[in-house]
Amino acid sequence: MRVNIYQATGLKKLVALVCIVFRSIWTLMPMVFLLYACSNNEEEYILINESLAFEVPSNFPEPHYDFDANPPTKYGFELGKRLFYDGKLSSNGFISCGFCHEQAFAFTHHGHQFSHGIDDLEGTRNTPPIQNMAFLKEFAWDGATSHLDLFPIIPITNEVEMGETMGNVINKLKADSSYQEAFEMAFDDPEVNTENFLKALGQFMAMMVSSNSRYDKYVRNEEGGQLTDLEKQGLDLFGQKCSSCHGTDLFTDSSFRNNGLPPNPQLDDVGREEVSGALSDKYKFKVPSLRNIDKTAPYMHDGRFGNLMSVLDFYESGVVDSSTLDPLLKLEGRLGIPLTSNEKEAIIAFLLTLTDETYLNDQRFAEY
Amino acid sequence: MKLNLISTAILFSLIMVGCSSNDTTTDQLTGSGSISIKYDNGYNGNDLIIGAANSANSNGENLTITRLSYIVSNFRLVNSTGEEYVFPKDESYFVISQEADLDNVVLPEIPAGEYTTLKFGVGVDQEKYLQGAEGQGDFLALAESHHMMWSWQAGYKFLNFEGSFTSEIVTDDTEFKIHMGSHGSSLDNYKEVTLALQTNVRVSDEMDSSIHLKIDAAKILVSSNNIQLTEKSVIMVDEVKSPQIAVNVTEMFEVDHIHNGDGHN
Ligand code: HEC
Ligand code: HEC
Repeated sequence: MRVNIYQATGLKKLVALVCIVFRSIWTLMPMVFLLYACSNNEEEYILINESLAFEVPSNFPEPHYDFDANPPTKYGFELGKRLFYDGKLSSNGFISCGFCHEQAFAFTHHGHQFSHGIDDLEGTRNTPPIQNMAFLKEFAWDGATSHLDLFPIIPITNEVEMGETMGNVINKLKADSSYQEAFEMAFDDPEVNTENFLKALGQFMAMMVSSNSRYDKYVRNEEGGQLTDLEKQGLDLFGQKCSSCHGTDLFTDSSFRNNGLPPNPQLDDVGREEVSGALSDKYKFKVPSLRNIDKTAPYMHDGRFGNLMSVLDFYESGVVDSSTLDPLLKLEGRLGIPLTSNEKEAIIAFLLTLTDETYLNDQRFAEY
Repeated sequence: MKLNLISTAILFSLIMVGCSSNDTTTDQLTGSGSISIKYDNGYNGNDLIIGAANSANSNGENLTITRLSYIVSNFRLVNSTGEEYVFPKDESYFVISQEADLDNVVLPEIPAGEYTTLKFGVGVDQEKYLQGAEGQGDFLALAESHHMMWSWQAGYKFLNFEGSFTSEIVTDDTEFKIHMGSHGSSLDNYKEVTLALQTNVRVSDEMDSSIHLKIDAAKILVSSNNIQLTEKSVIMVDEVKSPQIAVNVTEMFEVDHIHNGDGHN
């Protein structure tokens, strides 16, 4: 069921809907308090915008996002979610963030190596998942921005993604009275402006945490956290061969590295160099998280690999040398990572335990 | 000898007058006033006129400028006793744009006093950027509307300098584009400018004043660092040249004169 509280006109209707929302999707969230007051002879409900608690999973590092600067609230989050799924953010009115970031695929663009946006124009990069953003320091494959709040500017103003300007988007939202109401509910300073717009999207994305895979339950000793011998062997191998880059339980150390993919001359995507201007950053890309990896194919910044076995074959025998190749992939004069086919199988078995059905089906983040 | 005595006497009395009048006025400066800062863009001693050809710079390059915009920020004023007044950071970001006629920064409610030094930044510091949506406030929308945002990296262009040029080698009119800003988290090009004021600027309840700066845009290319468009005419994220341009830009500002009190501009 989709409860669109913003369309509600009368305050009473709103209150009723809030209760429904609360019952159905806000079970993890703090209570919404309704203060009832009488003024003159009219009844008036005052709605208090409850703050949302951000819980750090016990196996995760500390979040990087500054929740004090933009404390998530129930209505701020709701507004962010509505914006995330609204095609108004694009020039043709159809391409929403959710168009390329689909929940069932951990918010990646299923079936697309390169995401297509406005006028079916294609970008040159594979859509990464949106999950655990509050824990990351850098965003996009090349770290084009180091603040989550400011990220939406990139797709919105990119002519092959949403092809809009921030100013235009704000004007469109201002012209919509239901958005005016939603901004009023979400923020003390209720103006429809870029600051509040970005805060709402920031709140929504910062709250998106995937931390309930079978692996998580295993490391936290929780019910349902059983791993098979093969999966455990894979976890072990992963620790030896992969975790120096795909580190911590985020499965990324947020660094930029060249993992030795042969550059595609047709794209010649130089990666981090584009942002830093430094030749020493050529072909370096952000180490991606491997959570929900079973759902996020195709793989790598250009989506060149269709399955995990191809990724492991590449690490074993496809790594190419260059001046920026990560030294960890050139140990003892051998390019790549030695892996037997049994080891590959075990690692893949382990990677499949990183699928988090709770996250993929979490109604809080769902479009419908 | 007699002449010397007389001139010494005159000098002495002048100093006395100078001192006493100084003293009394400082005492009178109470409350607060506004200081405006005029950014008067020029090129090599001439006016900067959008679309008009300029004579050659010392690299033998003739520039026709179609855009000169930059961000100035973090204004501070140092008074005659060395104390620094920091203008509220949240309101301290401005776009100067030749094409949009944005050339005046007004700093209201400056505590009364006599200020000897003006300090400001060129660009947006990392501290502000890393405040996310909260920190950018309305400035982001202003910057976007004046072509001061890099869309592909969600960051600010500190300087947007565009036009065309010819040189001995490049004989066909060729586009140049200089967009300078910080390079994500890896290179911070925010820089600060300190300008001593040849006349102290004074503000009080009775007195709003202004500082008139002259900008020599030719220095963007030719100053401490020499940037030849002939060698590279589109400079956006260049690890070597962008920081050099950032330094040159800090050198293009000069205090021309001060207006103390109303009635001038
Ligand atoms: C046309 C498809 C498309 C649309 C629409 C789109 N994105 Fe993306 N998104 C991408 C691609 C491709 C990337 C990787 C970009 C890069 O690395 O250069 C990405 C990256 C991201 C990231 C960074 C993830 C990470 O791990 O670093 C975030 C956050 C994000 N998008 C949020 C959004 C939001 C919010 C919107 C709507 C305002 C949006 N996206 C709209 C395709 C899209
Ligand atoms: C030297 C650091 C490093 C090591 C070691 C490493 N990786 Fe990676 N990995 C990366 C980088 C960087 C990327 C992104 C490269 C790109 O897209 O250009 C990546 C991408 C991936 C991807 C694609 C993810 C996606 O969402 O597209 C998978 C899967 C992967 N690695 C698995 C592994 C496994 C399994 C191991 C151990 C056998 C491993 N990696 C070892 C750095 C490393």
